[in-house]
Amino acid sequence: MRAGLDAVPAGIVLADEHGRPVLRNRAASVGGHSDVLVDEAVQRLLAMAVGGQPAEQRLQLHGPPPRVLQIRGIPLAGGGALAVIDDLSERARLDAVRTDFVANISHELKTPVGALAVLAEALADSDDMEVNRHLALTLVEEAHRASNTIDDLLELSRIELGGPGEREEVSVAGVIGEAVARHRLTADTAGVCLEVTLVGAKMVVGDRLQLVSAVANLVDNAVKYTNPGGGVRVSAVAADGWLEISVADDGVGIPARDLDRVFERFYRVDRARSRDTGGTGLGLAIVRHVATNHGGEVSVRSREGEGSTFTLRIPLQEEQ
Amino acid sequence: MNELRKTYHHDLEQAREELARLAALVAELIPRATAVLLDGDLEGAELIIRGDAEIDARCVDLEEACLRILALQAPVASELRQVVALMKMISEVERSGDLVRNICKAARRIYGHDLDPKLRGVITRMGEQAQQLYSAAIAAFVENDAAKAAALDDMDAYLDALQKQFIQAIFESQSGGHIDLQVAVQLAYVARFYERIGDHAVNIAERVRFIITGWVPDHKKPDRPRFDLDSATPEPVAGAPDPGAS
Repeated sequence: MRAGLDAVPAGIVLADEHGRPVLRNRAASVGGHSDVLVDEAVQRLLAMAVGGQPAEQRLQLHGPPPRVLQIRGIPLAGGGALAVIDDLSERARLDAVRTDFVANISHELKTPVGALAVLAEALADSDDMEVNRHLALTLVEEAHRASNTIDDLLELSRIELGGPGEREEVSVAGVIGEAVARHRLTADTAGVCLEVTLVGAKMVVGDRLQLVSAVANLVDNAVKYTNPGGGVRVSAVAADGWLEISVADDGVGIPARDLDRVFERFYRVDRARSRDTGGTGLGLAIVRHVATNHGGEVSVRSREGEGSTFTLRIPLQEEQ
Repeated sequence: MNELRKTYHHDLEQAREELARLAALVAELIPRATAVLLDGDLEGAELIIRGDAEIDARCVDLEEACLRILALQAPVASELRQVVALMKMISEVERSGDLVRNICKAARRIYGHDLDPKLRGVITRMGEQAQQLYSAAIAAFVENDAAKAAALDDMDAYLDALQKQFIQAIFESQSGGHIDLQVAVQLAYVARFYERIGDHAVNIAERVRFIITGWVPDHKKPDRPRFDLDSATPEPVAGAPDPGAS
């Protein structure tokens, strides 16, 4: 019976007629400080349930790890009570992703369109050639921004719908070289030093265009968020059948609360700065899809004020 | 076991559980206060500041419960150590709650001022380290683990080093014109608050060792090892005995 209870993913605590816990499964065991707080809520609900009153409470814990729990106290017919602890963390995370996605996509798509309309109206009302020139240049800038967003959306949907894409033996140096070359000029202009290190890997099986796009997006981000005089290091290391491409910068870094969410479509760490950096908010979503299509993953380590390291990890050979 | 002794042990266990809960509540509030400070979350600050009164009230109740046990049950040996240690630990937890509240008050005072990424990074690390110390102290208490409790002093050396790094970063940010003097002063207080939370966690751990082994903290001990963030290895202070020396 014990093994059966331990196999249940929900936490279960059984209490006697005085509300004292007499049995708890593994998911309800008390370890860290968060568990002490969960246990406090469980005992409170058990005391209410023993009195014949069903009760429930939603508990949001900062962690780490952050958790959202639903705890129910259920009276038992023969006396005593049962507490059931359901972990709603993943459901709560998905709800937040869904809600924010709608807000973010409307912000990213409506802002440039709104700006275009306002600029065009101003242009129509102005007779001053100097002002007209300035407005026209800003119009072009906004049109490019809208066009970039649409391009990234199309690329993302192509990668999503196209699945793994074309499989071929691809040169690792070629992929990294092409991705770095796309942003070399921007880096030089911004005073950011771009370094490349290759260890071991010569070839990898994958879709060349997708891989170049993923690495280029990582390099683009790193260059954008690194201050002049800083550096971006791109490295590729092959070991144990896996290729690890890392892009490390010593830029502004990402706040801890945003780390889990940066790969979501249109998610912005700092929405106020997003227009200055000029991104579309889709780059890291594209990287994640490329990683998934290649049977790999992408991860990030970051600390504010110290920089970020993004690591794209894919198998060297296609899985059979 | 007669009914009187059963009640005694039940009361003692209840007092232990309540102390663990209060300490766990403080440990949970540390990252919340850090988020309040970094996000300028005034609503969150208000909640934590108001919630501190509840922690204070529960601490007073717990102290009374301990006094009742002392007066009515006259505990001896390890149980006496337990009650005496609990009474000492209550003040550590209560004071830690006040420090968390003070971080939120500082957040309100600097509301509207942007902090540069380096400052934000060190604040995040100090908050994480302070919480880690507190969690380790709670785990040592709940699990009656003297070895875990003994490790906290060295863990605290890292937090002390972070405080020095933070003060340095505050000076740099202020001299670089990123923050004004008033903000710099508030942040220096915040550094001190995190550092003191770490000290209270160490004191709790010392009391855990006292409960388990009867060991009494040595106030005449040589200076603690200093943690060098650059080399990431603890360095003995000049004049202190080198534990590695033969």
